[in-house]
Amino acid sequence: MELQEKITILSGAARYDASCASSGCSSDTPRRGTGNTSQGGICHSWADDGRCISLLKILLSNDCRYDCAYCVNRSSNPVPRASFTAREVVDLTMDFYRRNYIEGLFLSSAVNVSPDHTMEAMVRVAEILRNEERFGGYIHLKIIPGSSPELVRRAGLAADRISVNIELPSSESLRRLAPQKSKEAILAPMKLIGAEAGVSLVERRKSRKAPRFAPAGQSTQMIIGASPETDLQILRLSQGLYQRMNLKRVYYSAFVPVNDDNRLPVLAAPPLLREHRLYQADWLLRFYGFSAEEILSDDAPNLDESFDPKTAWALRNPGFFPVEVNRADYATLLRVPGIGVTSARRIIAARRFAPISPEGMKKIGVVMKRAKYFITCSGRPFERTDQQPARLRQSLLLGDGTEAKVPRQLVLPGLG
Amino acid sequence: MPRITLHNLLIPIVPNVPTVPFSKIHRRTPMNKFLYDGTPEGLVSAIASILDGGGDPAQAHLAVRQDTLFEEGLFLRTDPAAAEALFQRLRQGAPDAVYTLWYFMMAEVDDLETSLLRYIALAFEHGDRVNGYLTHADVKAIVATARKAGRELHRMKGLLRFEQLRDGTWLARMEPDHNIIQPLAQHFSKRLRGQTWFIYDVRRRSAAHWNGRDLSFGTLEQFTRPELSEEEKAVRQMWQSFFKTIAIPERKNPRLQKSNMPAKYWKYLTEKQGE
Repeated sequence: MELQEKITILSGAARYDASCASSGCSSDTPRRGTGNTSQGGICHSWADDGRCISLLKILLSNDCRYDCAYCVNRSSNPVPRASFTAREVVDLTMDFYRRNYIEGLFLSSAVNVSPDHTMEAMVRVAEILRNEERFGGYIHLKIIPGSSPELVRRAGLAADRISVNIELPSSESLRRLAPQKSKEAILAPMKLIGAEAGVSLVERRKSRKAPRFAPAGQSTQMIIGASPETDLQILRLSQGLYQRMNLKRVYYSAFVPVNDDNRLPVLAAPPLLREHRLYQADWLLRFYGFSAEEILSDDAPNLDESFDPKTAWALRNPGFFPVEVNRADYATLLRVPGIGVTSARRIIAARRFAPISPEGMKKIGVVMKRAKYFITCSGRPFERTDQQPARLRQSLLLGDGTEAKVPRQLVLPGLG
Repeated sequence: MPRITLHNLLIPIVPNVPTVPFSKIHRRTPMNKFLYDGTPEGLVSAIASILDGGGDPAQAHLAVRQDTLFEEGLFLRTDPAAAEALFQRLRQGAPDAVYTLWYFMMAEVDDLETSLLRYIALAFEHGDRVNGYLTHADVKAIVATARKAGRELHRMKGLLRFEQLRDGTWLARMEPDHNIIQPLAQHFSKRLRGQTWFIYDVRRRSAAHWNGRDLSFGTLEQFTRPELSEEEKAVRQMWQSFFKTIAIPERKNPRLQKSNMPAKYWKYLTEKQGE
């Protein structure tokens, strides 16, 4: 089969993986080698779906013996099958990297003979890149559930980031839709990765020469909307993964129906807005000091479609407001709708010079059309901050007529 | 981050300003209006002489000399030593502000000299904290301009495309809004250290060259794109196939694509050829 055709089959089969991050670690170009990594990551292009392309995201093979209901590569699907040799992936990575098309490689694979067989082949690609090509760019390896600890270790030593897909938000859904994968087989390597990364950090504190284990950490991904879990269940799971497993990122992937299967829901379109709201809530967990239980409750276990989760929280907690921007601490500022991590930091830096005026808030970059209902500037409110919740909802949704109405644009922070 | 010297600021290619005898335009001015020759060095030097001369930066006004008959203002002659001295002092007192100044210069804007003067005066007063004083109109203008240049630099680190020439060297062409070739070339001198390459800014006719060891900069009088290598065509096709199939058809979103990757950058993007 022509290489060109293989690329089409094996990148088409890899596109449903949401992660494309190339961030989280910084390293120098190896001696006589090619490539380095940069802390913030670099996007190299944006595909026709608007998602960024940072890595050569591709499968080593799409020839799968598993039959997961949601997956385009499942064994019962009559799709063309292809496999790369290790050399083909290595050459492709280097050819693309030298032209600055990519930041590195994101390699995943279908499982054919056994998890170990596939994992070993994937690890070999990464090892050839590192050892023979002296490649210093970004490598993200997917870990195949059920592969041996030894291979997970080798993967962690060769790659910048490794990830095990949790696939679905509950073990019940996993049993139903991916019967050949088990919760245990997914969680075991996650725990191992966490432990190995911890050991490596301790060792590297003693010696800079100690090997780095997945320096950009581990991430995971789950499919949203293929199974009946509520947003609260999903956020609780993510919260647990961040707190107990030390994950860098949880990716949410709106379910795209690629198969006819009576175990799957019938959707008119992928639930993109729900995915977007989950990413917003995920940000609140990681950077804004919120807990899953503050964002949602058993009575209202799903995210509001009309409001971002922070605004929704603010509407439920009028007692917290108004916040005085010239006095409030960082954690309090972060809870104001329209004030993000950057503007909260800027507010604190700017008010050291002089109290911030309403005009100053705009200069700083605060989204005033949301913030104005929740703040005071040196005691002066912008709007009546004691409005009835229903009216406030109305104003937030429709604007107050003083600003042009901007159509709601769907941005996908997790995929940007 | 590379260590910046005043020399870094001077690399940007600026148009030659016709030399006019100093005496012809030097006249006393009642206002705090100052003029300089339009070069980056002249700008730093002029700021140095205003600040050293005890002028009040809040009242002063600084602009490029246009050399028209009715132009008002005191022309400040470029003094490289004064520029260097101010630069050293700034680096001591506010190293972050030096980076801001560097990025600001890449923007090549020519109507913010007065804001820059006030920004630097504030940097001497407050040190690096000055970059947090975003409620100050001049600080905001300078920091925002510098940030825009930084954003394009970051973007171009991803969007620049190298093509392999017949002799095995590599060429990347671009037309950025900001004059970012210097830090961009520094980035690739680390990343693609083992290759011999050129980066060419088509609009400014400026080029960076990495020979595997040293980086050099210059301008090109004439440019013709050399022949590509045999292999180049095949790799381009593979990249184009990848680009096409990696998008999820059910999520097609050209607006989002354009807002992340404005069309002005498509001209040299391998994956956008033929669109």
